[in-house]
Amino acid sequence: MKLKNIRKNLSKVFTYTLLAFTVIISIFPIIWVIMSAFKDNAMILSDPFALPKQISFEPFVYIFSKYDFGRYFINSFLISVSSTLVALIFFAMGSYVLAKYEFPGKNLVFILYTVTLLVPAQSKAQPIFSLIMKLGLYDNIWGVALVYVSMGLAISTFILKPAFMAVPKSLDEAAVIEGANFFTVFWEINLPLAKGGLATAGILMFLGNWNEYFYASILTSSDTTRTLPLALQFFTEAFSYNYPRLFAALTVVILPGIILYILAQEQVQASVASSGIKG
Amino acid sequence: MSSNRKTAASRLERKNYKWIYLFLLPSFIVFVTFYIQPIFTVFYTSFTKWDGFNKPKFIGLTNYINMFGNTAFRYSLKNLLLWSFIAAVFHVGFGVLVAFAIFKKPFGWKFTRAVFMIPNVISAAAWAMIYRFMFHDDMGMINNIIRKFNPDFHVQWFYQSPFAFIAVTLTWLFYAVIVTLIVLNDLFAIPGDLFEAARVDGASDFQLIKYIQLPLCKNAIGTSIIASITARVAMYEQIALTTAGGPGDDTMNLPVILVKSIMDLKYGYANANGVIMFILGLFILWLVNRLFKMDESVY
Repeated sequence: MKLKNIRKNLSKVFTYTLLAFTVIISIFPIIWVIMSAFKDNAMILSDPFALPKQISFEPFVYIFSKYDFGRYFINSFLISVSSTLVALIFFAMGSYVLAKYEFPGKNLVFILYTVTLLVPAQSKAQPIFSLIMKLGLYDNIWGVALVYVSMGLAISTFILKPAFMAVPKSLDEAAVIEGANFFTVFWEINLPLAKGGLATAGILMFLGNWNEYFYASILTSSDTTRTLPLALQFFTEAFSYNYPRLFAALTVVILPGIILYILAQEQVQASVASSGIKG
Repeated sequence: MSSNRKTAASRLERKNYKWIYLFLLPSFIVFVTFYIQPIFTVFYTSFTKWDGFNKPKFIGLTNYINMFGNTAFRYSLKNLLLWSFIAAVFHVGFGVLVAFAIFKKPFGWKFTRAVFMIPNVISAAAWAMIYRFMFHDDMGMINNIIRKFNPDFHVQWFYQSPFAFIAVTLTWLFYAVIVTLIVLNDLFAIPGDLFEAARVDGASDFQLIKYIQLPLCKNAIGTSIIASITARVAMYEQIALTTAGGPGDDTMNLPVILVKSIMDLKYGYANANGVIMFILGLFILWLVNRLFKMDESVY
């Protein structure tokens, strides 16, 4: 009996050590970054783990006033919001007919859309770079946004198709009998009832676009088109000896994603688990 | 009656074809423009010498032969092999371990699951920067912790061989929340009476894990391995923003070579790299599917 107790306790110790380790590695780097943004250089070097002595917003004021950080923020926001909205409408329309109607080529289209998940984004870099050049959208935030529209094709189809399938067909038929046309059935009946799936797909695509670095880095070159993730790289060079400003810049970049995640935790977790993607 | 209704329904559907294809059109244009066209271009031009201005000139397999003769490329493959092994065994292993720990619903399990996700919702570029600062010799917290025990410790993690490889690996090694969530999903789906029946038969915790839980989340583990190795093929920010492939070619990988080739206007060569990435992705999918016999149902 005693042996069994020891084993039980050991397994408890192991479980809690594992959970504690997981929490620490996930949260500690972020706390360290945010805390350091409020310290001074000397304190970052001598006391990396102490709480800041006084709260100073000077580094934040500095990066927004002396540098175009506001511009980067607006660029990131415009690109992410516009591409997410357009993608959401396009992919909702596609997923809706894939979910609710029979037509020739249906299965093929579904397979083609979802298999795009396996194409490494970077492998298509040259043709997409050349396409954006040809369209005259190089170094233009709308060129970046255009490319981002394509990114969520597979994930959105995975999430939205079941969301529309869950809307009862009897509702569509009732609406048709009352004289609603195809578009009205989609817009006024199915879209509102699939809003859970739409929110999930939208949040996932927004997070992906807000955080994207690779295409932003090859499709832009000037200061005025820079997005937040891109700006980080230039900040490291500009502030190589002013650590609080560096950490303030990092804080501004990471905080919106974290806040959005905290607000929509359940949805993000559920969707990641069911589609097994990202990262 | 029923066949009548069926033809009526299909007539209704045929009347809808115009609408159906109209609805499919926007996403299909996206698919053709950003997937089909690029993939064909990548394959076709990988057999050419092309600078983007003049016409592509067919040169057969020269790009591929040059690639395999190139040290940076060979290092990339070696790194990819090593990283894939680490990802499949340790990264996925850690994620599975956390999933099994959380599955027992100990105190704080929801909090752990929620917090574990945070590194995944922030930009990989920012995460790479955070790690670069954490491993910084002066201000980084890693070296500051080590110096509490060994005051003479000074290592430039991202600039010194062999530390750079280790540091790049640590930026992703433990961040296996996707694995944890996928496996948890399957664990929670196991019917409860299966456990009860096994318990009645006197199965121990270890036997439960070995004979019930692990076999039943085989597909989840297979999916995790595919996802984590695919992420290694496409890993970019963690390298470009820390070591840029160095020191030497210690942390070189395919996307870094690809971007450099585009910047050098060696489009054909860049695309040969893209083809290799593409094929590696399919190969991993096929291999893991075979190894895990994932198409067979587990129930």
